[in-house]
Amino acid sequence: MIHFFAPAAFALAALLPVILAMYLLKLRRTERVVSSTYLWQRMVRDVEANAPWQRLRHNLLLYLQLLILALLVLALARPFSWAEGRGGQATILVLDTSASMSATDASPTRLDAARAQARQIVDGLPDDARVTVIAAGQQARVLLSSSLDRRQAHLALDRVRPEVGGSDMAAALELASAVAARQPDTEIAVLSDGRVELPQRLALRGNVRYLPLGTSGDNQAVGALSVRSMPGGQYLAAFVQVANYGESGVERRLALYADGQLANAYDLDLPAHGQRAVVAEQLPPETEVVEARLLGADVLSLDDRAWAVTRAGARASVVLVSEGNRFLETALGLMPDLALTVVSPVQLMTSVSPEQEGDVPATATAQPTGEAVATPAVPGQAASAGDEAAAAEALAAADLVLLDTETPPAAILPLSANLLYLGPLRSTAYFSVTGRLDAPVPRLVDATDPLVARTAVEQVSILEASRLALPAWARPLLVADLPGDEPAPLLLAGQVGGRRIAVLAFDLRRSDLPLQVSFPLLLANLIDWLAPEQGAGVPTQVGPGDAVSLAVPPEVDRVEVRTPGGATVRLDPVAGRAVFAETGELGLYELAWGEGGSAPALRARFAVGLFSGLESDLRPAEDLHLQGAAGEAGEEASLRARREWWRPLAYVALLVLVVEWAVYQRAVLARLAGWLRAALRRRGSNLPWS
Amino acid sequence: MMFDEPFLRQLERLALLSRRAMAGQMQGERRSPRRGQSVEFADYRPYAPGDDFRRIDWNAYARLERFFIKLFVEEEDVTVHLLIDTSRSMDWGDPNKLWYAARAAGAIGYVALAGLDRVAVKVLGEGNGPFPAQRGKRQAMTLFSYLERLQTGGPTALGPRLRAYAAAARLPGPLVLFSDLFDPGWTEGLGALAARGFEVTVLHTLAPDEVAPSLEGDLRLVDVESGGEVEITADYDMLARYRHGLADWQAEVRRYCALREMRYLSVVTDVPFEELLFAVLRRGGVLS
Repeated sequence: MIHFFAPAAFALAALLPVILAMYLLKLRRTERVVSSTYLWQRMVRDVEANAPWQRLRHNLLLYLQLLILALLVLALARPFSWAEGRGGQATILVLDTSASMSATDASPTRLDAARAQARQIVDGLPDDARVTVIAAGQQARVLLSSSLDRRQAHLALDRVRPEVGGSDMAAALELASAVAARQPDTEIAVLSDGRVELPQRLALRGNVRYLPLGTSGDNQAVGALSVRSMPGGQYLAAFVQVANYGESGVERRLALYADGQLANAYDLDLPAHGQRAVVAEQLPPETEVVEARLLGADVLSLDDRAWAVTRAGARASVVLVSEGNRFLETALGLMPDLALTVVSPVQLMTSVSPEQEGDVPATATAQPTGEAVATPAVPGQAASAGDEAAAAEALAAADLVLLDTETPPAAILPLSANLLYLGPLRSTAYFSVTGRLDAPVPRLVDATDPLVARTAVEQVSILEASRLALPAWARPLLVADLPGDEPAPLLLAGQVGGRRIAVLAFDLRRSDLPLQVSFPLLLANLIDWLAPEQGAGVPTQVGPGDAVSLAVPPEVDRVEVRTPGGATVRLDPVAGRAVFAETGELGLYELAWGEGGSAPALRARFAVGLFSGLESDLRPAEDLHLQGAAGEAGEEASLRARREWWRPLAYVALLVLVVEWAVYQRAVLARLAGWLRAALRRRGSNLPWS
Repeated sequence: MMFDEPFLRQLERLALLSRRAMAGQMQGERRSPRRGQSVEFADYRPYAPGDDFRRIDWNAYARLERFFIKLFVEEEDVTVHLLIDTSRSMDWGDPNKLWYAARAAGAIGYVALAGLDRVAVKVLGEGNGPFPAQRGKRQAMTLFSYLERLQTGGPTALGPRLRAYAAAARLPGPLVLFSDLFDPGWTEGLGALAARGFEVTVLHTLAPDEVAPSLEGDLRLVDVESGGEVEITADYDMLARYRHGLADWQAEVRRYCALREMRYLSVVTDVPFEELLFAVLRRGGVLS
């Protein structure tokens, strides 16, 4: 049904008879004398019969002119039709850009189908309707705000990109609602597959219309992937869960890759809406990346791959400088992810290179080496040249050096290593030993301190401890109250000169700590703090779009992340933290940081995986159960929109005008064509070969 | 002077063709349907009293003992009728149609006079005196001066005029009609001529701007002769239709002539005069 916006324009139709009259009225004709009108009369007899109407019959020009005028009048009247469901006076397009919108059950993808549908809506809008485009991805983004410019609207729709995460539809709808509140008679068109999380009741303004996309839920996904180091560090085990969200059972092949090499493959028979779990054991212990891949194709390929990163290859290397301490060695040996090297004090001293030796302060040379020589070598550690070289290598790479009652000069210790002093007998560069304490009674300074929490270390009985002066850089964890004096620290920890140092004031062998349950806990806490896992705080698994916050050491000034797509992103650490938020791609990310132009001090990888049942479950939702501003006026009316037709009419009028001109100039055109033909013929006959 | 000497000498080489024998008045060079005194034997017939007994075939009498008269083909002159339409529509065009027709008539007349034929000129119009039939080359100058002085005037009225001429002519012979035929009476006139037994050649004379009018715009066409008006809008369509109409009309005349054993030749006056005489008329079988 066609309606008219400006029916007053039909008054211009009065011009139609004017054109007609101009043809009907006798024109002022030029008189021309001819030899005879005999032939003209013979010819004109049938054309120009007496009835004026018949005179009009064969005049093509008249028809064309009438047609042009009619079209123009019609265009000026601005006809429009009510298009069903074409938005209101203002339309807000909310496009879901979550991972599920990349499903290919709509052609080519759900998002492209949504885009096409949005374009249709935009094109169908009346000219004075404002368009807002909101992309509901991980964050809701307003791509175009209340614009009348249709080209901008199309460009904004071009900018809608599929994302790999979920969608914050609630925020997008709230944004839309806020926009709708400013404009009356607004329709919010939600183009989504309905795989979104929405609060139970969302009060929205404007009329919300949900345009569901997608047809199929035929999708399988890697629902979970995790890799564990089995006890003893002998091998790794991967746990994979594969879920079928389809309506029918399906067989898929799952391939597991360890560092890019195919490690195992499983044929899984997945029942409808069922899951299968696979535990792949015996993966090589040095594996860093495990990838699970569902072979074959389904509707959504994003969730067919998943990665898991282990830190197995980056075990903390710990050097224990001791003349033999079974307690420590046993406790450390049980800890996973530790590479333990035991070095005797003699080896420690001899491993120092001459240049380093020159830097050794005079006090260090006074070290009673004889005593060290006299002590028997650590079992299995012959004081041979080869062992010394190995010891030197271990020291150079050490993350943590445990000094069991030894107090070697700080200069010969590796620069980057953290230190744990156990029962120091002498002062060092970091602290000073002022005396002895007999049978101190320990007391926890702060029971909630992570280093000592839940260790019950205060129940330790100590035979003898060194009396330490509390250095400025350290905080006491365990103290012994002395009458009439400051409490003496029994355990202190702190950071100085870029290294972490903890000092236990008593020798393990002169307390019952090694026999207590709290010993492995305390040791584990200390080791965790002193030899933090490689990739300091870098998570191994991140959700898409989640920000990764990194604790960056102060000396690091260059932090780079390589995305799976191969792009390199530089991060600027601010106040010891760097935040990487561009995790919009599924796959492996590689983080490297270092100082200036030197080789990166740290390399760590982390994986971004979908692992979202909401996104993988592709069955489109029938209804979002959204409620628009109920009770607001014109709910039905605004669901209809005017579709104007004047533009095509104007185009046709223009076309007819051109035709009319051509008809009027037929004689000239025919003459031109004749000349052209003649010229061509002449040209042709002049050709040398003709 | 219409023609110069060399042209006249060229003309003398031509002869007027006639498709059938026609009776003449005097001895001439054309076969006549009559029997007479040429050298060419034609037929025998039994002697009848009163016949010239000098023409009895005595050899036949010796064999058959019957008198037979030997008949010979008579060669007589013919009267060539030149009919010139001098209606005002003929005084038109560039080159002028009447002037063109007069020259053509002069040339054909000269050819006829040179061929010992009689030439009669009839002007279909008003304001000109009669031109009685003449014979002999010496009359050429008279003919030329008469044609040079032709006046236009009066309506065409082809029908009645031609009918009257056909009725008045004593001896039908070759007849050349110079006219633009711009008259609805052309069928009637031509029919009358054909019925009288003339050997008619219609030289349909048209001016170039009648064949392809250079008209444009909304016009009121005024007939120079009758003053009648026709209103046209001369656009591409109209001119195309005019050309079609002209072609149709010429085809109609041609058909009409062909049915009555008349020759029809269409001539546009921008055709050079020599080409008319030595090509068009020869091709049309009028001259040889």
